[in-house]
Amino acid sequence: MNVVVDLNRCQGYAQCAFLAPEVFAMHGEEALLYHPVVPDGQQERVLRAVAACPVQAILVGEEAGTGER
Amino acid sequence: MAADPETLIERITDYASRPDPYPLYAELREHGVARQQNGSYLVGTYHEITALLHDPRISSDRRNRTEPDEAGDEEQGIPPSFIGLDDPEHHRLRSLAMRSFGPPHNPGRIDALHGEITRIVQDLLAQLRTRDRIDLVDEFAYPLPVTVICRLLGVPTEDEPTFRGWSDTIVSGLDPARGADPTERQRAAADARRAMGIYLGELAASRRGNPGADMLSAFATDPGPDHGGFNQIEIMTTAVLLLIAGHETTVNLITNGMLTLLRHPEALERLRDEPALMPRAVEELLRYEPPVQMLPQRTPLADIEINGVTVPRGAPLILVLASGSRDPRRFPEPDRFDPGREDNQHLGFGGGVHSCFGAPLARLETQAALTALIQHLDAPRLVEDPPPYRRSPVLRGPRHLLIDHDRAGG
Ligand code: HEM
Ligand code: SF4
Repeated sequence: MNVVVDLNRCQGYAQCAFLAPEVFAMHGEEALLYHPVVPDGQQERVLRAVAACPVQAILVGEEAGTGER
Repeated sequence: MAADPETLIERITDYASRPDPYPLYAELREHGVARQQNGSYLVGTYHEITALLHDPRISSDRRNRTEPDEAGDEEQGIPPSFIGLDDPEHHRLRSLAMRSFGPPHNPGRIDALHGEITRIVQDLLAQLRTRDRIDLVDEFAYPLPVTVICRLLGVPTEDEPTFRGWSDTIVSGLDPARGADPTERQRAAADARRAMGIYLGELAASRRGNPGADMLSAFATDPGPDHGGFNQIEIMTTAVLLLIAGHETTVNLITNGMLTLLRHPEALERLRDEPALMPRAVEELLRYEPPVQMLPQRTPLADIEINGVTVPRGAPLILVLASGSRDPRRFPEPDRFDPGREDNQHLGFGGGVHSCFGAPLARLETQAALTALIQHLDAPRLVEDPPPYRRSPVLRGPRHLLIDHDRAGG
């Protein structure tokens, strides 16, 4: 599974960094850093982060059976 | 039926409206902004609410009201917590509290609670499964978040009966129009806040010599950034805020969630088959049946114009989040519950600088709770619909939710 964050849309709400801290991290109070290749075992956390992002800035690729259309 | 927009707040707060306030919100949206007989202003449309949540001329500090109320009287109680303060003071205190709750200083805290949340859910569920009829509120939706917030803060769960009383009194002080004498209620609420503050402040102080991994220990010992850590009063107000928020909100999201799923069996089936959809379904619940229906404590610092209506400086301004989240100008088919809804930037957690501090925790708890309930309760059915509601029109949810189910064999 891969993720891309649309950094133009991201507003630094940090919801992703709480819910999948191994994939998303806040650098200081606003800047977001992330691992584009999701480590094994983190998929479920990433899906929680995707749903929680208030501006739908996190895009997921190559996912299997997640209920995404 | 009277359709005078000046009486909307009375009709919304009327206990008879609790099961279904949504038609009143639709009426409110037709007026955009509605001045009330008591001098307050209601706003119910999505775009206006969002703009106001981000407008620095709108204060969260009730002491800026022209007619101050008991809630702002410091001789009576303790000062406001950061939910009732403006920046920069709000930002300073929120950031200090965040140091022990989340990123950037403590990014793993909420994720690390996952195992514990699952365990508490399983324990509660094991008890539910031994009986045919359960009260979801008292036996599940209330104890779960209370146990979690107590662990997180480092508050002994045995003291729960004591602070439950304080919490009830504080919440009834939020109610914008109930009863003839709001002063009396607000005085009682201020007393309860002070009592709870003293209790939590003493607990935190007792950790100084021997801190644990809990947040009260962190509040008492963290030296903070350059401008310093919390003082004792700030520890009290912040801890009260977190304990109340952890007590009075998630319970309603879990209960409203189960009620909504039982009213929409096709959605319940879909989530049983597709558990990965649950995080999105919870967002939809925050839009469709939000636990925080309105924010009653905003006040403009200057005369402001909203949709052609001038709201004078110092007037109570009430943002009806639950109405904004059903605004057809923002959400297609807003009255339809759609667990797979896309583009769902609801107002359930507020917005702007005060947006919910505990949102990640509330999300995890609710996702875990609903997933377990729909997987482990066999053929669940509502006993009464609508269920009896709690009093508050602000923090709205059922007081009890009786559910029958087929008991697990043995
Ligand atoms: C489903 C559960 C919850 C809902 C619907 C909810 C909703 C909200 C809303 C709408 C606000 C905005 C208030 C305002 O702008 O005046 C808020 C603020 C806040 N919430 Fe929550 N909340 C929930 C759970 C929690 C939990 C579990 C905690 C504690 C861990 C918490 C802590 C707070 C705090 C501290 C604030 C004040 C933030 C600030 O002023 O900067 N909430 N919440
Ligand atoms: S939750 Fe969304 S907006 Fe917030 S930091 Fe993550 S990607 Fe950005």
